[in-house]
Amino acid sequence: MNALSVRGLTKRYPHFCLDAVSFDVAEGHIAGLIGGNGAGKSTLLKGILHLIDAAGEVSVFGEPFRADEVRLKQQIGFVGGGFRFYPMKRLAAIRSVYAAFYQNWNDETYRSCLRRFGLDERKRVRELSDGMKVKFSLALALSHGAKLLLLDEPTSGLDPLSREEFCDILLSLSREEKTTVLFSTHISSDLLRTADDVLLLSRGKLPESRPLPELLARWKTVLFSTAKEAAAANAAGVKKTKDGFEGLMTQGAPLPANAACRAATLDEILIHLEQTQKEDNAHADTH
Amino acid sequence: MRTLIKKELRLCLHPSVFLFFAFSALVFAPNYPYEVIFFFSALSVYFCCLSARENGDLPFTCALPVRKARVPLARILVATGIQCAMLALTGALGAVKEAVFPDGPLLNRAGISANLALVGNGAVILGVFNLLFFPLLYRSPERVGVPFLLAAAAQFLLVGLFLLLRWCTPLFSVTLNGSNAEHTAAKVAALFIGLAAYAAMTALSCFLSMRNFKKVDL
Repeated sequence: MNALSVRGLTKRYPHFCLDAVSFDVAEGHIAGLIGGNGAGKSTLLKGILHLIDAAGEVSVFGEPFRADEVRLKQQIGFVGGGFRFYPMKRLAAIRSVYAAFYQNWNDETYRSCLRRFGLDERKRVRELSDGMKVKFSLALALSHGAKLLLLDEPTSGLDPLSREEFCDILLSLSREEKTTVLFSTHISSDLLRTADDVLLLSRGKLPESRPLPELLARWKTVLFSTAKEAAAANAAGVKKTKDGFEGLMTQGAPLPANAACRAATLDEILIHLEQTQKEDNAHADTH
Repeated sequence: MRTLIKKELRLCLHPSVFLFFAFSALVFAPNYPYEVIFFFSALSVYFCCLSARENGDLPFTCALPVRKARVPLARILVATGIQCAMLALTGALGAVKEAVFPDGPLLNRAGISANLALVGNGAVILGVFNLLFFPLLYRSPERVGVPFLLAAAAQFLLVGLFLLLRWCTPLFSVTLNGSNAEHTAAKVAALFIGLAAYAAMTALSCFLSMRNFKKVDL
């Protein structure tokens, strides 16, 4: 069963368009939403949660989200980066307000999260480090029994140790409690460490949405001597490098003579598909 | 809705609200345009909205299991509570003034006396504030200042109008002026007309704010 299904999610701004994005996240999976700055990751997550007025359909655990938004939100935990709200309030005050909105709030789970994350409820939000803010958001989300976590760049601004710890938490949630996670990031190492599936968002479009191993196995990075050779080979997202030209080709595509290849990294896939999208947009603009 | 209102009270209520309640004691000032008292009530609502914006209240609240349209409704209901408390306090302190200083200079040389009709005038002023401020705010919640400036300007125009009526019309200068014991029926009528106008304008404000906020992208 899919924990989350998105069909044709579209949001148009004057200078950006989230363009009919569709994907599924299976129950218990961790899906990583990766893309550069301005790719539309936050817009997509806000569109899912109906925080913005976007067209398209969203289903949560098989039920249309907009038809019963209030009930389905009981099963969703949203963490928009760190906890950036009410900096002067104590954690206890925020918890007491937050808990009242959730029927399945479990104070025991919350206390256990506080101990596990080393959080002190007597502190004010502004006294927390970035890492602790993310943990506080997670503690709130987990204590109301969220079965689907939507996390918007939760590791942005965290040091490597905190990021590692965060990845461990995600993995244990997914593997032990079958929690489904969709998290956006532009840090590919976090994604490699945790994600079952990758959604690659580029300029408002979703050119790739696959299981991580399948995505990595699908592409190879090919190094060409000239741009002409790259064009002849129909390589995707060709870019000039210091030694020549580099582009992406699918694993099955025949390798041209004089071209070298290697397995594509996640960053390379992102960069070259972004380049392809850029070229497509430029082409569309000229026509 | 009760949970949302509790959230407003615990996380969004600005401390200045309680400070501004004290401004209702201005009815003891001998000569003062008492309608200005209701501007302070509006100012406290503005501070609540400003502080809510700075605290990222709307994105936090809208991610909770609530209907988006209910979010402005809760805020307006809390503001209504603040304003009604201010109206009640002003009326009560006006009555205290009348009781404590029965022979005092009840006739206000700046505007209308601190009586029931003043509370009616205050209700109209606050109703106009609600009607302008909240729908404009919830059309673009990041911009708190411009809706407040427009609503405050309208409030001061109304204050000016009430002062003009106080000096130019017998209804306001004689019938609705002075002690509550004189022309009581007229003053009670003015109070209820003011409260009815306040209720109607606030209800319309709720409707427009909810409609506007549904379209807002957070």
